[in-house]
Amino acid sequence: MTTQPKKARVSTTVNGQPVDVLVAPYQSLLEMLREVLGLTGTKEGCNDGNCGACTVSLDGRIVDSCLVLGAEADGKRVDTIEGMARPEGLHPLQQAFLEEAALQCGICTPGFLVAARALLEREPHPSEERIRLWLAGNLCRCTGYDKIVGAVRKAAALDGAGNGRAAG
Amino acid sequence: MTSPTVIHSVGLPAPRADAIGKVTGGATYTADLRLPGTVWGKVLRSPYPHARIAGIDTSAARQVPGVHAVLTGDDLPPNTRFGRRIVDVPVLAQGIVRFIGEPVAAVAADDEDIAQRALDLIEVEYEELPAIFDALEAIEPGATLLHPDVMNYTGLPAPLERPSNVVTRTVWGTGDVDQGFRQAEWTFDYTFTIPTVHQAYIEPHSCLVRIDEAGRVQVWASNKAPYNLRQQVAACIGLPLERIRINPVTIGGDFGGKGSPMFIPLAYFLAKATARTVRIVLAYAEELTSANPRHPCVAQVRVGANRDGTIVAYQARLVFNSGAYAGFKPAGFLPGAQHGGGAYHVPHCKVEALGVYTNRVPCGHMRGPGEPQSIFAFESAVDRVARDLGLPPLEVRRKNLLRDGETNSLGHRYQDIRAEDTLNAALEAAGWDAPKGKNVGRGVAICERAPGGGETHANVTLHADGSVVLHTSIFEQGSGSYTTLQQVAAEELGLPHDAVRVEVWDTDAVPFDTGVGGSRVTRVATQAGAGAAQQARDLLLQRAAQTLGWPREQLTLAGTRIRRNDTGETHSWADVIAKTGSPVVGGASIKDMGPAPVTGFTAQVAEVEVDPETGAVKLRRIASAHDVGRVVNPMGIRGQIYGGIAQGVGYGMMEELRMDDGRVTTASFADYKIPTMADMPEVRIVLLESESGVGPYHVKGIGENPNAPTAAAIANAVEDAVGVRIDDLPITAEKVYRALRAKRQ
Ligand code: FES
Ligand code: FES
Repeated sequence: MTTQPKKARVSTTVNGQPVDVLVAPYQSLLEMLREVLGLTGTKEGCNDGNCGACTVSLDGRIVDSCLVLGAEADGKRVDTIEGMARPEGLHPLQQAFLEEAALQCGICTPGFLVAARALLEREPHPSEERIRLWLAGNLCRCTGYDKIVGAVRKAAALDGAGNGRAAG
Repeated sequence: MTSPTVIHSVGLPAPRADAIGKVTGGATYTADLRLPGTVWGKVLRSPYPHARIAGIDTSAARQVPGVHAVLTGDDLPPNTRFGRRIVDVPVLAQGIVRFIGEPVAAVAADDEDIAQRALDLIEVEYEELPAIFDALEAIEPGATLLHPDVMNYTGLPAPLERPSNVVTRTVWGTGDVDQGFRQAEWTFDYTFTIPTVHQAYIEPHSCLVRIDEAGRVQVWASNKAPYNLRQQVAACIGLPLERIRINPVTIGGDFGGKGSPMFIPLAYFLAKATARTVRIVLAYAEELTSANPRHPCVAQVRVGANRDGTIVAYQARLVFNSGAYAGFKPAGFLPGAQHGGGAYHVPHCKVEALGVYTNRVPCGHMRGPGEPQSIFAFESAVDRVARDLGLPPLEVRRKNLLRDGETNSLGHRYQDIRAEDTLNAALEAAGWDAPKGKNVGRGVAICERAPGGGETHANVTLHADGSVVLHTSIFEQGSGSYTTLQQVAAEELGLPHDAVRVEVWDTDAVPFDTGVGGSRVTRVATQAGAGAAQQARDLLLQRAAQTLGWPREQLTLAGTRIRRNDTGETHSWADVIAKTGSPVVGGASIKDMGPAPVTGFTAQVAEVEVDPETGAVKLRRIASAHDVGRVVNPMGIRGQIYGGIAQGVGYGMMEELRMDDGRVTTASFADYKIPTMADMPEVRIVLLESESGVGPYHVKGIGENPNAPTAAAIANAVEDAVGVRIDDLPITAEKVYRALRAKRQ
């Protein structure tokens, strides 16, 4: 007979805010964000680590949140799309995606933005080839990618694109 | 007197109307909706391709704490089926299952995991029946009938003479092919095979269904044709239209795949059984194994040609494997199949398309229903004929290309034929005449498509605070319709496009809207958006004339001001509205159904480099030229083209929803590979603008064309590079390697 597994307490920091939540042992970080915390900006596509729609930053490292257990976020810092804009306005990457029309249906966009921010934090001026390799784990079926590459390059050309809150 | 600066919006690059929500994570997709008391719906699916259900035991599942309902086909009224046209898809199997993945039972539970545990406890007893997977086998006279009662199905586009697995047979063409083949100096026969591929939008199908306090069915769903959906759901669940409301949400990609009821009727039955809001979100494996992918096709082609390359006759029999059901096609058949040779003058042509039932996943629409298959066959055949005649393929293509005044392969005569200009533009962008290295090849493919017709509505409301709101009945799926609407309304009002805010009506607002698809939005919605804005402007000027005591005929609208031309005085229109109390509302309802008088051509050149040792094909470049009429949003149109080409590249070189005895074996993105950023070649786009489009802004469609000719251009390039021809998509290293080896022997 089935019984409800016991939930574990997870203490983490999400977008700079300390958070204490109860998470079932089998729940992924993606489920924790979306279902427990109601942070639905992180998207679920494949739920098996192959599309990148669920990309978040965990202690400054990008992960597919569908492949990470919620419990693993304990004591760590999680940064999602919801924390990307700065008080003074959109993050330069967000602004560039908007201006360059680097999105259509938008379901892949949060994942691309979080992944691209991590790239620019490490390498403020990546080559096109480097961008294409770094973001090859993020699938987009709408745009054909060209404008996403263009937007990342544009943001990279602006000062400070890599200095988001989730410096890593 | 200086005249005020005229602000234009149409034709200028416009960032998307919905971009802010999408870059901040704030846009609400169906799976993001949270309503209190929502339960999860989950589906138990058949593990057999064809079987009789001898019994289902749900007692253990019902005992699981947190389970609110368990349904099987026995709990639904007999023949509870849906269909976009042919009504043949059971909501839950009733007696028979016809494909691996067919819904057999469903659970509603407090959360997804509980629902899954309950599903695991349902016992189904199946008696296996002989199954057919191959469409060519299914059309044999003695083949097992998969739908013995097909004659009685509602929505058949044409009545059947006798029960058959061939559920639809559609014939298009012109002239008399028999006569054509007698006249032709040579005839050639070729067969092309094209696999099943999936739309592979990143957002899986999802819905939320709630029966509200008034007993109305409230639906939120990843569906781009809400008014059709309402009709189809109403017919299926047996409620009148007005008891159902489809509410707008953001849709995470469609590519033709998100226009069916899918599991929305099931969610309704679960909502009814539980008195709770029901959410169903497909797991991506369910998407790939059960959600209406693009039809595979066997294309048997005969071409009659003269020694000089003139194509006299073309005949194609396109056998489309529909899978277990035909209900995912809005016309019942695949209308795009007719377009294979649409860009050519072919005096005698017959295209016959069969829709065939088998025991595989039922197929639906994807980005030009039937076109990519049909165009791959025709455009591959043109090159094959050329090579068989010893002529350069480009010369044969030019010789037969459609010119002004000529009828095309369907007997259709369009105005302003721009086929040759489009071809030349693509050749130039590709550097066609530049020397090629060893094992490098270039191939061309061409197609055409006219923008579809449809019905839509829009209102433009001018408010006292100076804001402008455009209401639309369109649920866009990512293609940029809202931005287009913003632009045309802004153009008519002389405002920048982002001064117009778009709001989407639910289905209570207007009687009908055809929905997104067939590139009808650019054609029909531009008329609605512009018409509504024009009416709002006229009403505003009338009101201003009365309020200010100015002569109506002297008044024009200039951005935020009303201008009196004889004196040069201006007055804020917001103030006029504030003075008079109520907002100004202009509306337009457009029903423009007929065939468009013009078509839009696309020509693509692929450049590949083939490794003769391994057969690996490196796609170096795609040049793509498009005859687009006037461009409303240069940003939007390029997005459609890049995205279409990416899908064409996947179709040509990577994608295949592989099946083994009806079981999809590529049930994840790890196995079902779609192009990533690193897979995409250099893309060069040329837009050929002209005044030859339809509607007030002379537009043509762009949604379908960019993805249709790519695979053929690649196949033609591979043959140009290393002299082997791959007639079987996708063009993989293995196939090229084998062909090279066979050639050497
Ligand atoms: S949802 Fe996590 S990688 Fe696709
Ligand atoms: S914008 Fe739709 S998947 Fe990327």
